[in-house]
Amino acid sequence: MKPLLYAEKVSFTYPQTQRSSGPLSLSLHQGESLLVYGPSGGGKSTLARCLAGLIPHLYHGQMNGDVWIGDRNTKEMQSWEIAREAGFVFQNPATQIVTSSVEDELLFGLENLGLPREEIKTRFDNVVDQFHLSSFLKRSPFTLSGGEQQKLSLAAIIAMHPSVLILDEPLSMLDSSAADEFINLLKEQQQEGTSLVFFEHRLPYLQDFPGLKRIPLGIASNDQPKSQITTAAHPKKVGAFSIHVQGLTVSFGKKKILDELNIEFEGGQLVALAGKNGSGKTTLLRSLAGLQPFEGTIRVIGNRQDESDFPQLNMVFQNPDTQLFNPTVREEILYKIQSPNQELYEWLIPALNLEKYQDTQPLLLSEGEKRRLALAIALMHPHKHGILLDEPSLGQDQMHKDLLIQLLKTISQMGYLVFYATHDIELAAKADRMILISEKGIIADEPTRNILLNKNAWQQAGLLLPHWISP
Amino acid sequence: MKWKRRKLYISTDLEETSPLRKFDPRTKLFLSLCASVVVMLPLQRLFIFLGLYIIFIIWARLFSHFLKQMDKIKWILIILFLVDWLVVSLQLAAEVTLRLSVLTSVFTVLFATTTPSELGLALESLGFPYRFAFSINLAFQSLGMLEQEWQAIWEAQKSRGVLFDIMNFRTLFTKVGDLVSLTVPAIVLATKHAWVITESATARGFDSPMRKPFHQLSYSACDWVVSIISAGLVSMLILWR
Repeated sequence: MKPLLYAEKVSFTYPQTQRSSGPLSLSLHQGESLLVYGPSGGGKSTLARCLAGLIPHLYHGQMNGDVWIGDRNTKEMQSWEIAREAGFVFQNPATQIVTSSVEDELLFGLENLGLPREEIKTRFDNVVDQFHLSSFLKRSPFTLSGGEQQKLSLAAIIAMHPSVLILDEPLSMLDSSAADEFINLLKEQQQEGTSLVFFEHRLPYLQDFPGLKRIPLGIASNDQPKSQITTAAHPKKVGAFSIHVQGLTVSFGKKKILDELNIEFEGGQLVALAGKNGSGKTTLLRSLAGLQPFEGTIRVIGNRQDESDFPQLNMVFQNPDTQLFNPTVREEILYKIQSPNQELYEWLIPALNLEKYQDTQPLLLSEGEKRRLALAIALMHPHKHGILLDEPSLGQDQMHKDLLIQLLKTISQMGYLVFYATHDIELAAKADRMILISEKGIIADEPTRNILLNKNAWQQAGLLLPHWISP
Repeated sequence: MKWKRRKLYISTDLEETSPLRKFDPRTKLFLSLCASVVVMLPLQRLFIFLGLYIIFIIWARLFSHFLKQMDKIKWILIILFLVDWLVVSLQLAAEVTLRLSVLTSVFTVLFATTTPSELGLALESLGFPYRFAFSINLAFQSLGMLEQEWQAIWEAQKSRGVLFDIMNFRTLFTKVGDLVSLTVPAIVLATKHAWVITESATARGFDSPMRKPFHQLSYSACDWVVSIISAGLVSMLILWR
């Protein structure tokens, strides 16, 4: 039987960076599923675009090898012809939305197929039923949660009846329950005969996926971190302190995002904040960083003379592109620092695996590398009490996640508070203490081991505790 | 804590309760174009139009929306009025300020009662190429996202010690340099956003020559009545001596 999708030694080189991805060879038949996995920055997204025909139709660069959909080479097809056969689901559900209502988003691809009105209506109704979208139709897609947006993106593609679905890290921005729901929808599609190609590094979520074949992308040896992180190498220690949050309330219009939260933190703690998308995780971090107006009090109490009332916590933001503008990584890290601590710089760069990029333009780094650079910026800037991190594991493969958690533990051992919000339960499980939050407030705030044993708390938070995570 | 959220001058929220919401987007586009012509008339006739316009927006249940928009641009209007008055004359200052406030209000009323998709469909049915109509649609729908991104950039730079509060003239030049830290990420994010949308649209067959729009616009009797009355009023105001 002829494969639906066939790729032979496909590779691509970007002209600006000379970074190469691939080569990748694969063969996919009807109803089959493949997983292409590899490290962050390894070119998974680029190769996914090669399979979907976005490369070479939209990108300039050197593409080697060929991709065949049925018996046609994608280089000889128009991009709209490829779209009829191969659907593409992007990593970030919010940025792939092209219209202003859920209804229009579902209709967009169907209109482009040039189908008769009746056929569009039938397919539209089917997909609305299948994905339970009837109550959302008139809403703006931008008001949906991350999980709902990703479900909408899949529905909009499925409505076009592609024979192959290419998914570029579709789980990376979803919380555990949304990821589980999304995978179940994909299993249904597979049963109906759609073939799937995943480009993903959250592998445990796919371990039970029926008949999934795995294709590794190579890990270059120089991507391994060069040194182990030790507390002895960190040049600065901090005195004892505690941060008291009392009656913290944040409202957007009439809606209360945080309502009368009370939390206490001690210096030296590694604390994870887990909750569904939209539960107020980022708002809590922004309040602690002094970026969000709030009611209530946030005070630091310590044994040092120069303690100010409000804690000084540096924040690592979710999107590193909001910060980067300097010509080199080195200048980016040292920007606006009066007298940079050279010892700290020398410690951080290998610890974050950024050594070889010091003279590189930050905007040319991969997403995972940019996130590590944003962490370096936050750590180099003077911070008396610690750091706050918003979704630090986005775009990081397992090796870099391990590196990240090792670094965060080291910083907390120096006496600083490290507080991170994440929907990645694997990362949350590495903290000493975990706070589970939902729209109703704090569900549980205990040592991580206790929370991992408390199934009731996970249920109340609306989160799924993945079965491969144990206390 | 001193902190102020920066808001866009153009509201992107829909006013669902307004009766204008039910009108064909082409009618609303026509009304906006009529108003754009009338605001160029001399002061006396401009005042008559302003009176009629205020009655119209009260009927359209958009008066509070009108006041909010005026509040957002009040400083621009005040500075414009003062500069024109001091440099040229009081009459010109009144004319220019009135024209700008009416024009701003007319187009915010249009966007408050028309979704970007409806506007795109209206342009397409008026003979504009689909690519152009789609781009206009995307531009308006992206305003909200650009606002969020601008806010995120502002906060990210502030958290690394880039402060934009200008204390005196000595710090002014340093602050101008710091603006690079806002503008470069803003350009990068906007370009990235545009690129991802291009990819997403292409992956769903955007450039297909076979495209057929599902929704069809229909000009109702009410649309005809409102359009004819508006055209009549505009003609009267233009021809009246």
